[in-house]
Amino acid sequence: MIKRKQLSKLSCLFLMLIFLSGCWDQLAIDERAYAVAIGLDKGEEENQIKITFLITNPELSRSEGGQGSNEPPREIITFQTNDLISAKDMANTVIAKQVTYTQLGYLLVSEELAKDKNFVRLMYDVAKEPEIKRGVRLIVTKEEASQFLEKTQPKLETRVHKFFELILEYGIRTGYIPDTDINKYFRITEAKGSIFLGIYATTEKDTSDNRKGEDNFIAGEFNAEGQTNNSEFAGSAVFKEGRMLGTLTSEETRLTILLNDTLNSGHMLTTFPDPFDREHQVVTRLVKKRNNEVKINLNGDNPTIDITIPLYVEVLSNHSMINYAVDSKKRKILKNDIEERITTKFDNLIKKTQKEFKGEPFGWSLDVRKQFPTIPAYEKYNWGEKYPDLQVNVSVNINFGQFGKQSEVPALEGSGD
Amino acid sequence: MDKTKGTIGTREFIAIIILTIGTKLADDTPSLFFSSMGSAAWMAPIIIGVTTILPVFFILKIFAIYPNKTFVEIIKEVFGKYVGFFVLFALWIFQIYALIIDSSIYTDIMGTMYFNDTPTIVIYAVLISVAAYGAKKGFEHISSYAWIIIAGVKVTALTVLVLIVLQGRPEFIFPLFGTGKWEIIKGSTSYISIFADLFYFAFIASYLKSTKVLKKGMWIGLAFITIEISTAIMSYVMLFDFNGIKLIDYPYHESIRTIQLGFIRNTESLFFPFWLIATFARFSFYFYISVLLFSTLFKISQKEFIIPILATLIVFFGMIPETPTFAIYTLRGEFLKLVTPVFLFLPFVIWVLAKLKGGSINDKKKAAE
Repeated sequence: MIKRKQLSKLSCLFLMLIFLSGCWDQLAIDERAYAVAIGLDKGEEENQIKITFLITNPELSRSEGGQGSNEPPREIITFQTNDLISAKDMANTVIAKQVTYTQLGYLLVSEELAKDKNFVRLMYDVAKEPEIKRGVRLIVTKEEASQFLEKTQPKLETRVHKFFELILEYGIRTGYIPDTDINKYFRITEAKGSIFLGIYATTEKDTSDNRKGEDNFIAGEFNAEGQTNNSEFAGSAVFKEGRMLGTLTSEETRLTILLNDTLNSGHMLTTFPDPFDREHQVVTRLVKKRNNEVKINLNGDNPTIDITIPLYVEVLSNHSMINYAVDSKKRKILKNDIEERITTKFDNLIKKTQKEFKGEPFGWSLDVRKQFPTIPAYEKYNWGEKYPDLQVNVSVNINFGQFGKQSEVPALEGSGD
Repeated sequence: MDKTKGTIGTREFIAIIILTIGTKLADDTPSLFFSSMGSAAWMAPIIIGVTTILPVFFILKIFAIYPNKTFVEIIKEVFGKYVGFFVLFALWIFQIYALIIDSSIYTDIMGTMYFNDTPTIVIYAVLISVAAYGAKKGFEHISSYAWIIIAGVKVTALTVLVLIVLQGRPEFIFPLFGTGKWEIIKGSTSYISIFADLFYFAFIASYLKSTKVLKKGMWIGLAFITIEISTAIMSYVMLFDFNGIKLIDYPYHESIRTIQLGFIRNTESLFFPFWLIATFARFSFYFYISVLLFSTLFKISQKEFIIPILATLIVFFGMIPETPTFAIYTLRGEFLKLVTPVFLFLPFVIWVLAKLKGGSINDKKKAAE
């Protein structure tokens, strides 16, 4: 008797499993088309957009193991639509499966559309659509986003979402592109007065040789040769009040990351001219181990911000073959030289943001708001309008780390030593 | 109801208090504070918690005067037969109203955030039938259920909190005083009733092992939920900033879909189930209190039979409002403002009347006999 009671209880438990299917919202994962990236371009008519879905083939990961179907790794469709949300249904005209945004990781926007005054309206579709997460990354493409997606054909990462994931991860780690997502876009747009940085990318080669320095370029100017993928990710797109204004080069992006404590900075490998031998470069690794010291004085006629940036520098190699490791005086000269160079670069960047963009991408509004007891007082001060006239004093504080795996080099004939 | 002393211990009692009121951090309650207080919204639960010390103090005082009576009996005794009936009826109306609008909000959360294609009535019916089943099982079952799940619910909530703090910016809680000190006082005192559930816990005092359990549970529970809700609100601001948070309807759910757990992108599917089981505990308790009050009011001895009727009524009333996200939000806000003075002063009034009626003397006499 007891046994039967237990059995009926157990069968009830199994019946409960039916509820786990999610009623009307049940998902059959093989009946869904996962859009991992969406491209948005200006449509042919006013207020229309052209949408591109990059749909990944989930079966591929299985076929990588050896046996499997010969289906292509991805599918791309582009069509005219009014918004992001209704496009899901429209896509079904050509795609057999139901399009879903649950795996969406990247939103690509053409520069033309990002500069349009109606772009903000479009972005709030993203906030409203329940399937889209706020961790989606915003990428601005120089050409049309549809072209960018079509031309992005990674050679070794057949699964295209993996390609995006990895290239952005390492791009962010090196500081060539900013670490940003849609949540930040909304936050900065809503806060007014500050600047949001999006990731800048292109597949178009710029052969006009605009490149200003070894690591001072923007996507398209890198001009890699060989057999590789055409898409380049470098630099950032500058957004003010939700609309794109201009771009920052990869070096400016790196400098911004160093100035902005809210952006994660990784390890930046870069070079500086050797103070003892200007023809040769010193290869360094810059690491920011601590947050910047920000002192703000908003009172009086001349409001100022004093920023001290602690930098940990490792000199990895120097072609001038100078033995910095043994000579502390030379190290000091090198330190001062690098400090001076970086400070000038910071100053130029800050002037550019004050004149060109009239806003700051450095997250200083967070320090400024600490100065005010209430929101109305802070809003009345209007940080966004005050920034262009602000006096900013940057100083860099370098701490040398190691000097390469082997710290000493032999004295060469004709070298600076 | 005929028993005077029950079997529920301190840990179960605290667990059900925390689940009933603490779950409010994950619905639209935080939104009540964000629009009026901005970055200082985290102060609201603290102010409310401190103010709530008074009503809780008087509730405990009342039980000190009548240690052997249920709360229903106490109310009937101090107010007399007719006024007592009216007070209990009003309390029942408040309770059932709260149950209807809150369940409607929770249904809306599930509908808009997770189950977009499922008809509202199905979600609502499932939610209420689980709550009704819990209510039928009785308070002992509800509280042991609460004790079983509390560890899981709170561990996941803590994980969410840690992830939010790691991925948010602590600077966002500045300017420290939000929209201004006066606004903070005004904004928080109108919603003291978000802790009004504590008053309803007095009705189940007779199920507890002793008045000591009641005392301990109430104080620890109050302290816990105050800190918990305040920290939660602070963490939402850290993630979305005071401008963004104003626009978000359900901050907890937006947070769990924003944060990332390493390479896992859709983290909400990890945290949502725990929120759901906490929700079941909450509504089971609400439902149980409604049934308890209704059956004592109209002298219905077999409580089981009114449960299906009430459940059906709740679903139908809850389905009435169009666009529940806004309609219920307004209804709930106004309702909370209305209940605030009742929650603040009713315990005091009962205590004064109890003192005047000399309940303690009568009880002591009885105890002596």
